[in-house]
Amino acid sequence: MSTNRWLATGNYFTSYRDEQRIFFTHLDRTIFTFFLSLLFVWPLLFAVSNKYMLVIDNILIAIVAIIGLNIVTGFAGLISIGHAAFVGIGAYTVASFSRTLGDSHVIITHAWPLMIILSGLMGAIFGAIVGLPAMRLKHLYLAIATLSFQMIFSWTINFLEFFNQGQTIPVSRVFWFTGKLDRDEHYLFWYYVLLVVVVLSGFMVRNLLRTRYGRCLSAVRDNDRAADAMGMHPGLTKVYAFGLAGFFAGMAGALHAYVYRGAGFESFTLHHSITYLAMAIVGGLGTLNGSFWGPAAIITLELQVETLAEHAGQIFPSSWNLATALKPFSFGLVIVLFLMFEPRGIANWWRIVRSYTKLWPFRY
Amino acid sequence: MKNRKRMTVAVSLTLIVLFAFTFQAQAGETYKLGLSLAITGPTSDAGDPYSKGVEDYFNYVNDMKLLGDDKIDCTIRDDQYKTDVTKRNFEDFLDMGIVFYLNYSTGSTMALKKDFDEEKMPTIPASFHAGNLEGSTYIFLPIATYSAQAIGLAEYIVKNHKGDTPKVAMYIHPSAFGRGPVSDVEKAVAAGLKMEIVEVVEHGTDLDNTAMLQRLKSKGVQYIISQTIQSPVATMLKDASRLGLIAKTFGEKGKITFLGCHYTGGNDLVALAGPAAENFFWTTSYIVTSEPGPGTDFQLSLAKKYGRDEKTANSHNYINGAMVAQVASECILRAKKKGLKITKESLYEELLAMNGANEFKTVTTVGPVTYSKTDKQGVDTLQLYAVKNGEFKSVGKPFIPEYTGKIK
Repeated sequence: MSTNRWLATGNYFTSYRDEQRIFFTHLDRTIFTFFLSLLFVWPLLFAVSNKYMLVIDNILIAIVAIIGLNIVTGFAGLISIGHAAFVGIGAYTVASFSRTLGDSHVIITHAWPLMIILSGLMGAIFGAIVGLPAMRLKHLYLAIATLSFQMIFSWTINFLEFFNQGQTIPVSRVFWFTGKLDRDEHYLFWYYVLLVVVVLSGFMVRNLLRTRYGRCLSAVRDNDRAADAMGMHPGLTKVYAFGLAGFFAGMAGALHAYVYRGAGFESFTLHHSITYLAMAIVGGLGTLNGSFWGPAAIITLELQVETLAEHAGQIFPSSWNLATALKPFSFGLVIVLFLMFEPRGIANWWRIVRSYTKLWPFRY
Repeated sequence: MKNRKRMTVAVSLTLIVLFAFTFQAQAGETYKLGLSLAITGPTSDAGDPYSKGVEDYFNYVNDMKLLGDDKIDCTIRDDQYKTDVTKRNFEDFLDMGIVFYLNYSTGSTMALKKDFDEEKMPTIPASFHAGNLEGSTYIFLPIATYSAQAIGLAEYIVKNHKGDTPKVAMYIHPSAFGRGPVSDVEKAVAAGLKMEIVEVVEHGTDLDNTAMLQRLKSKGVQYIISQTIQSPVATMLKDASRLGLIAKTFGEKGKITFLGCHYTGGNDLVALAGPAAENFFWTTSYIVTSEPGPGTDFQLSLAKKYGRDEKTANSHNYINGAMVAQVASECILRAKKKGLKITKESLYEELLAMNGANEFKTVTTVGPVTYSKTDKQGVDTLQLYAVKNGEFKSVGKPFIPEYTGKIK
């Protein structure tokens, strides 16, 4: 370890324990604490409209979901193209309670933290079940298995009367110590809840990766036979990777249902699964901070393209359908460009910036 | 000298400020409204002309000074048929301080129903789904519900069918929008409407309906009522034409007569299906431009005034949008005449009072717009049209379906 606990211009690891530290220097810890405090404080200093608060909430929900996707696809190397369905499981867990007990029932409005955890557990159960084929299947075959789960989910929600045939099932506003939240507090309140969930999830995954269970994920991803020979259980590892991914996705779904005050099928389609994958790729597969960058980048891009499409629609004749084409085109282009020029995602840019500042003023 | 100069500057500045404020006071008030709809993405073929209709009518109100010096500022946002985006747009509109909201899709109307009630926001969607009104206080439909339309078509079948009980199939969109009227038609049958619903088909994105049509034919189906959008209907009609299944006259034996609700028809259907659209029966509460009259004249002149192309000018969705803008403008006008402050509350009250002697007559619909606490369906009257020589022509007089009252 460097003698200077604030600055370390290089790696001074003398043990595995050193390498597993969450913060390498005091400076890292201070910057992180400052940044985290900033995230908690800024909404109190600047008034943000509900529209933008909703966008920020949406980014945070996606981050929780992508943390899950990154575990299964990034760290364990198991492709999942049904992630939106797991998010949907979480949302429909809350919605099912709402439909059965009434949307203003005390369980929905007061015991919402419990509902969020319960939704996560439901997601985990479904994740583990869907993960069972992963014990036998790999690559494209596994992708098809997860896709079939998305199809089953779509069919079930769209056709069963219990799920309102895909129409929105309302969820009431929740109560806090100050009473029932009103519209002005709603998005800000959920911002803080989401922030807490994101921070806890981040630490959870960071800590998981420091344990043998976390290292198992990478080992199975890199070579499952070698992992097996080393005494790990690749099958079990794959199933719990899916289970964990389902847990985070389920929590994200419950949060979505609470923020949007309802669960409707439209938010959990195959298109959303592909979007989640794109977020994970753009952010950086197999990196924790990539789970934060990806949703922020894609949702911001979507917003910008939306504005651009609106302007384009006013300038160009509607028969050109330019505005309609702009969004999928830009979305596809970004993914292709990232795959071609930066397959390690935005997280790699972050890594470069970090190593540059760490070594500064030296080049290496 | 210096003081005099300062004095002159001060006086002139004061005059400028006073003039500016006076001018502002004379400029009248601006009422903010919001519309979120699919200008791009799914169903944009209906959403695009709809948005133009809304935009043009509000421009017309401002240009013709129908509200005196007051103006309507309606922000129109594209939600690409995504409920999440509609929600975001609605939040934005609330922050802007809108007094009236225009929505679009069935899905988003159902999803935001609670928000409309919570915000006490008078809302008119482009969706005529009867479910929009269930448990809602502030949603008002512009015309008869899809259920009323489908029941109206079913009643027409029963009245004009020759022979035994008519066998009917329903061809619907796989969503709340499509499924909505099915249970109501079934209720009408249970209440005594003498027809048999043989099958309800939810269409996918099939490009060929041969098997489906042959199956329905083998089951003895003579009528197909569609509740979806134009493109799947056009595909079905083309396939039916190829198979020689389209009835040349209503209820022709051994053939199938095709009928549809509001969003299945219009000029777009004729453009998509071509000659296969001939003898397609369609119902809506709007007057179409292929029927000469003051409604058509108004629609075409409005479109011409704002430089719309021929397709938009002749679209029933263009007048669909203009009509909801008419209702909103009329509410503002009535509240103004009463000397009321224009708020969402006063406009809501104006909507509720729009009945009896206060009904709103407009040249673009086949009946008056009426609302009350118990009636949230604007134009109750429907008109049946059929395609003759590539144009929709009226069939009979406007009517109100009988069974809609019986199944309540």
